[in-house]
Amino acid sequence: MAALEVVAAFALPGWVGPLIVLAAVLTTAAAARRLRGLATISLAASPLVGSILLVNLFLLPGAADPIARLGPIGPTWSGLWFGLQTVARLMAFSLAIGLVYLTTAVDDLLADLARRGVGRRAIFVVGAAVQMVPSTIGRAGEIVDAQRSRGMDTEGPIWRRARGVLPLAGPVVFGALTEVEERTMALEARAFSAPGRQTLLRVPADPASHRVTRWAAILAIAVIVLARASGRLG
Amino acid sequence: MNVPLIELEAVSFTYPDGPTAVIDVTLRIEPGETVVIIGQNGSGKSTLVRHLNGLLRPGSGRVLLDGHDIHSVHVAALAARVGLAFQNPDRQLFAGRVASEVGFGPRNLGVRGAELEARVAAALEDVGLAAEAETNPYDLGLSRRKLLALASVLAMRTPVLVLDEPTTGQDARGVARVRAVVASAAQEGRTVIAISHDMRFAAECFGRVVVMRAGKVALDGSPAAIFAQAAWPELRAAYLEPPLPAVVGAGLGLGSTPTAAALVAALPGPAGEGRGRPPGRAGNE
Amino acid sequence: MAIELSGVRYRYAGASAAALSDVSLRLEPGRVVGVTGANESGKSTLCLVLAGLAPKVIGGRLDGSVRIDGVETTAMRPYELAQRCGLLFQNAATQLSNTTATVFEEIAFGPCNLGLAIEEVVERVWWALRIVGIEPLAPRDPARLSGGQGQLVALASVLALRPAYLVLDEPTSELDPAGTTLVAEALAGMARETGAGIVLVEHKTDVLARIADEVLVLENGAVALSGSAAVLADPRLAELGVEPPARVLLEGEVRAAGIEWTPRLAEALA
Repeated sequence: MAALEVVAAFALPGWVGPLIVLAAVLTTAAAARRLRGLATISLAASPLVGSILLVNLFLLPGAADPIARLGPIGPTWSGLWFGLQTVARLMAFSLAIGLVYLTTAVDDLLADLARRGVGRRAIFVVGAAVQMVPSTIGRAGEIVDAQRSRGMDTEGPIWRRARGVLPLAGPVVFGALTEVEERTMALEARAFSAPGRQTLLRVPADPASHRVTRWAAILAIAVIVLARASGRLG
Repeated sequence: MNVPLIELEAVSFTYPDGPTAVIDVTLRIEPGETVVIIGQNGSGKSTLVRHLNGLLRPGSGRVLLDGHDIHSVHVAALAARVGLAFQNPDRQLFAGRVASEVGFGPRNLGVRGAELEARVAAALEDVGLAAEAETNPYDLGLSRRKLLALASVLAMRTPVLVLDEPTTGQDARGVARVRAVVASAAQEGRTVIAISHDMRFAAECFGRVVVMRAGKVALDGSPAAIFAQAAWPELRAAYLEPPLPAVVGAGLGLGSTPTAAALVAALPGPAGEGRGRPPGRAGNE
Repeated sequence: MAIELSGVRYRYAGASAAALSDVSLRLEPGRVVGVTGANESGKSTLCLVLAGLAPKVIGGRLDGSVRIDGVETTAMRPYELAQRCGLLFQNAATQLSNTTATVFEEIAFGPCNLGLAIEEVVERVWWALRIVGIEPLAPRDPARLSGGQGQLVALASVLALRPAYLVLDEPTSELDPAGTTLVAEALAGMARETGAGIVLVEHKTDVLARIADEVLVLENGAVALSGSAAVLADPRLAELGVEPPARVLLEGEVRAAGIEWTPRLAEALA
């Protein structure tokens, strides 16, 4: 479903794609009670949104319909229009991806991959990558605390804070590296490299309605992509 | 060196997504006191000491140094007065050489030149790493990386020294180094506050023991008072056991003998010495 | 039946000096061999060699012979080694797979890797939970356990592969006193119930004094002292950078003060 939304957001021309997708994402999120999570993602994207609007407003190449004159450069209507469209696409895209994160239980995703015969190494990589986010955040917090305790300035002016990059990034990298070897050995000690198929403990429920929706989404992706490729759209 | 009086007034702290970690803690730590905080993991010890240099700000209550509330003082400024050494060295080591790692703290405090070199050399000497000044920190084993992290805080020469589980993972030699660091800081009149799970270290190296349980101060007193038989039920409620000399002393009816030295002093000696000292005096000075 | 090391010398890949030199050791089923020594004396290396991970997984150069039930570890694949000799590290956090939602599934990770029938997996998981005494933890999230509980889950995870031998590298070093007691009690019960041979590396000699049948003390990669648990009272222990058990230490200090160590004192200890 998310894949459909992402493809639609980019492949459908003009306003149609992004707006349909935004509407779909927001309805789904409302139904799943995840609107708050999406609000957080929007907030995080706001600096990017601002800069896209500004750049297009003033610097869209070939735009010749000024809103006002301000010396050599000026805001243009087509710039504003194109900027808003780009933002709509960006938001549709990132909110659709965000919704996947907010609604998918990682263990169900992993169990489903295993059921579909995806190799155990690939599944482990997906699981470990997802797990890495919270553990890296926790580790980063401890590093910041330790370096601040050693007098590193994180509250002063920006030029002084900039000196903290190495002391903060260094332990993140070294810490991860020292852990890799231990993790590798721990996995081997648990027969990770045994040949043959893994036993599956969980079989996620997959009702007919879900299957129909999934196939419809795949079909829609194919149609959009083919249409776009054959030049019938946009 | 101006060693500050530390006061915590009814400090409570709650993590955004968790239960209250510190509840209504009031403590007054005089300049030059040596205090060890003991208690189960999760009892609030680490959360509490993070308030001493402003890493955490109390949800309610106040933290004062020499009578001044520190709520608006930057951590970078407080770090010059309160040095905090963390448990996990791999959350702070970043330099390519042991010596530059140790120099990082004092440099942040504005120390340069010969003074900086002298401090680095002295701190490395204190933890037994003088021969490793040019080594890459990650070429040292974990226990020596821990001592390096300790040296990096010692070199800041702060009037207050806070150590989070300094003896964990150390062998007998490493523990002896840590004991010497505590003793010499105390001798210089600095305040030392440590978190520990090592009851022998707690009883022998500190003048005051604070027991934490579920975010609150459960007991607070001298080692002799905290490890006296009367306090055992409270200790055990906090999942702690008294050190062995205290158990033996109580078994023999000699009063509170938290350390081997106190027990020896209380036992009838070869030449009649020993009985002279009243039971209940700890040999921790 | 035994793990036998004879004349073992091991050098890490890229290292100039050997981390272990001329170590011989025999571990029989049902026995607990305690190993202690100063930091960087070769304890962790010995664990890796015993479990066959060195040199099989991490490389390096091994001389001498390491046999598990008569088979050289260098001739076995890592997953075969895992079923003969389990290995537990200091830090529970790095050894859990981090890809499971419950303790039950975490413990099932190893048996599932072996592709066992689901009934067999479930039976082994319950067995491991029971041996370690953590059945109530089965539905919990492994990421939200205390340090001691996490270490017990890691222990059960290794046990679920039903190894005949277990190598435990400082399993209590990151734990508080309550966690240490919890793990030490689980280990003592496990040795009796499973009949597994156990090598236990520990700084906390009090734990060794309680459950070890034999003790080895390492120094610079070689065996400096060995024998029954009485080795822990050897006066050379201090020179080797090892803190003796609390009661040995206390007896020493009392005697050093010229006071007789009377039966009354020994009784008060118990």
